[in-house]
Amino acid sequence: MVDLIKKNAKSLQESLFSSVGSAVLTIATTYLVINFFRGMLGFALTSDKDWLAVLNNMQLYMVQAYPEEDFIRVWLSVGLTFVLAGLSIGIWRSDDRVKSSQVFNSFFKGGLGVLFFTIIAPTNASFMGNDGSVITEEVFSMDTRLGILIPVAVFCVIFFSIRFTNVKFTVNSSDMVFFYLFIPVALLWFVKLPTIQLDQNNERIIPDPVMPIADTTKIPWTVIFVSFLLSYFIGMYLKNIKSIKSIMSLSWFLLPLLIFSWIFKKPQIDMSVVLGSDLPIFGVFLLWGFLVITFVNNSIFKKYYSTYLGVTFLLTLVGVFSGLPMLAKTCLLLIALFSVVVPAVSTSSQGKRSLLIVWAVALVTLTFLLRGGASDTGIVVPGSSIFGGFSLTWLLAIFGTYVSFPLGVLLALGRNSKLPIIRIVCTGIIELTRSVPYITWLFFASVTLAVFLPAGVEFNLIVRVLMVTAFFSGAYFAENIRGGLQSIPKGQYEAADAIGMSPFQKISLIIMPQALRAVIPTLVSSAITAFKDSSLVTIIGLFDFLTIGKTVIGNQSIPVNFVGHDRENLIFVAIVYWIFTFTLSRRSMKVEKKLGLGER
Amino acid sequence: MSIIQTKDVKKWFGDFQALKGITMDVAEGEVLVVCGPSGSGKSTFIRCINRLEQHQEGQIIVDGIELTNDLKNIEAIRSEVGMVFQSFNLFPHLTVMQNITLAQIWVRKKNRAESEEKAMELLERVGIPEQAQKFPGQLSGGQQQRVAIARALAMEPKIMLFDEPTSALDPEMIKEVLDVMKELAKSGMTMIVVTHEMGFAKEVADRVMLFDEGMLVEENTPEEFFNNPKSDRTKLFLSQIL
Ligand SMILES: Nc1ncnc2c1ncn2[C@@H]1O[C@H](COP(=O)(O)OP(=O)(O)OP(=O)(O)O)[C@@H](O)[C@H]1O
Ligand SMILES: [Mg+2]
Repeated sequence: MVDLIKKNAKSLQESLFSSVGSAVLTIATTYLVINFFRGMLGFALTSDKDWLAVLNNMQLYMVQAYPEEDFIRVWLSVGLTFVLAGLSIGIWRSDDRVKSSQVFNSFFKGGLGVLFFTIIAPTNASFMGNDGSVITEEVFSMDTRLGILIPVAVFCVIFFSIRFTNVKFTVNSSDMVFFYLFIPVALLWFVKLPTIQLDQNNERIIPDPVMPIADTTKIPWTVIFVSFLLSYFIGMYLKNIKSIKSIMSLSWFLLPLLIFSWIFKKPQIDMSVVLGSDLPIFGVFLLWGFLVITFVNNSIFKKYYSTYLGVTFLLTLVGVFSGLPMLAKTCLLLIALFSVVVPAVSTSSQGKRSLLIVWAVALVTLTFLLRGGASDTGIVVPGSSIFGGFSLTWLLAIFGTYVSFPLGVLLALGRNSKLPIIRIVCTGIIELTRSVPYITWLFFASVTLAVFLPAGVEFNLIVRVLMVTAFFSGAYFAENIRGGLQSIPKGQYEAADAIGMSPFQKISLIIMPQALRAVIPTLVSSAITAFKDSSLVTIIGLFDFLTIGKTVIGNQSIPVNFVGHDRENLIFVAIVYWIFTFTLSRRSMKVEKKLGLGER
Repeated sequence: MSIIQTKDVKKWFGDFQALKGITMDVAEGEVLVVCGPSGSGKSTFIRCINRLEQHQEGQIIVDGIELTNDLKNIEAIRSEVGMVFQSFNLFPHLTVMQNITLAQIWVRKKNRAESEEKAMELLERVGIPEQAQKFPGQLSGGQQQRVAIARALAMEPKIMLFDEPTSALDPEMIKEVLDVMKELAKSGMTMIVVTHEMGFAKEVADRVMLFDEGMLVEENTPEEFFNNPKSDRTKLFLSQIL
């Protein structure tokens, strides 16, 4: 053990104090870091900072004005997401094992972090009061300091010395996810903090009674955690079912749509519309697809297939700009695309059967989601949107990526196309969207977009924002992906051609996977940018996560006065953004490693 | 009965004429070696045969099908004609096994088990069955080129085209690739090989051709070609290369 410490000390000396210059640099940096954190902590701990302004407003942060009696819908959305996540982790369960020493090591490091902050936390801090005067007060008493210092130090020593004992085992790295998640959920039950309580007259009861931090939400979170765990086991059990992975990927794609159009929205379904319009449309298109699949190998139909395709596309074009119901338009678009794919896929009778199933399932899903999305919402909120706070930010982020990523792929391919008309249109779209600021596009969505849409088509503000966001980040994705495409040597195209692949197969199996792999870092940074830029929607009157913290809570005076407490809220918002983007970038690093980018 | 026939094939890159009227034919099971100085149009010519390049004038008929702009014909011909490139062009994101099974699964629409069996068979034929699960980046150049040959053979082509398959290899690896090609030639495959390996030409070729400035200068049996060439251009070429 002594040896180890000596060795560590030596390597430390070598890395930090190897020369006079680096010694000076080390000391100066340490000084700056300590002072920075001292200042931060002093700020965080002063009595002027009311962190209850953050804690007490969690509901506002998450869903803004979503009515309380429908909260079950929010929980359902979160729960479903976790169930799906659990299933996926179970199905894709990795075989990586984490060594116990690694786990203890991270606990040890965590403990050291806490020690560091406890030691450097200032006893007295000066701060600017709301009236502008400078106040000095004791913020971190010696007793508190020792109360934290001693147990944490003991904890650190334990986890440090455990390395030298015989306690050695390995844990599956997927299992660890649950262990780490268990900690915050368990803490919800045990950690108690002062909580704001109001009496019958809506007056704040002072002093604040001490309660578990998440008194109202601890039960839902526990239920969700348990279902998460259960679905993990179910996922492991389902692992070997054929094509379960593609079903899961598809579910991940459909889940946000389901949440958006049914769960969160509480659609008011008009049965007469369902029976009178949805069902007939559904039937017609089901039959249409069925006929195409059945007769695709028929020689007469084959001969006129390109004519048929042309007519279908023309119909689609006319249909989209006509007064047809939304469902019919979308189905037209779908059948047109479907007709392009069918001849390439269907050959055997078995292939035809599975194609028919795919078509039916796709139609049912589309009809179901579109009915939910097009119906009126049963949720009554003041303001223009049932999405607010984190739910809005999340919605914009998810849809921003879901829609814009495939769009980006298409635009990038289009820009590289040999057909001039496609190339010009795609280049035009990319250059037009990129060269106008996002904020301008947002105003465009809120004020002008209606003018450009065909008569009779009307979209909710959120949908319009999603549309411009999709194009805006799609253009960025497209340029990134185009960079990836350019890095693919010509030989790859030729090799794919030489073994007889169709253009579609060539792009989707050979070119795209390599192109995307080459640009993962830039794609992730675009996704992060899109996530953060979603806070700009505040400018057209939507209440995203940041706006709730800065504007809404910062001006909140009833039932509790939090005016002027926007600094705490800004720090909280920053931390939440950081957690998400940091996780994303770490994950992408892992994916990169897995694909062996550096290997070649 | 000739399996490949070309009539007066001409090809321009912009103003530059790369092929100036090539007329030739290849019989089934024949091994044809094409040589010539750099820039003489050898690559361009064999790439025209599976339509990686488009010729502008003349006719190319492969296995009774004429190469035109008809996509169906092109795809049909490409699955009959295997091609091996100078720079291997393996798919780096797929394992060796996936490289070989890909076309069988997606183009030939075979099932996975069947195509993996076939792939193992081919890997044994080219002598590297133990590398099946590796990625191309983890193999030596010679091994990569042998995988590329296996990949082309997986389509069960009638004709194999080789465009300088050994030029990017170190001398000690050249032999292992040539051995595979010799074995292939003996098995009765129709082959067109662009190469500077005169040893290979002497040993296996049924016929040798010399290209120069986009023209077919000489066409002869190996013995005649090396010992008693008809044209002065061939003599010059041989004196430079031997
Ligand atoms: N894509 C192209 N665009 C323009 N010119 C080209 C192109 N490909 C080939 N050429 C020209 O056509 C001529 C013949 O090229 P080709 O690659 O067929 O020669 P080669 O005989 O294979 O030579 P090497 O032995 O160096 O491979 C060369 O002069 C080359 O510069
Ligand atoms: Mg060449």
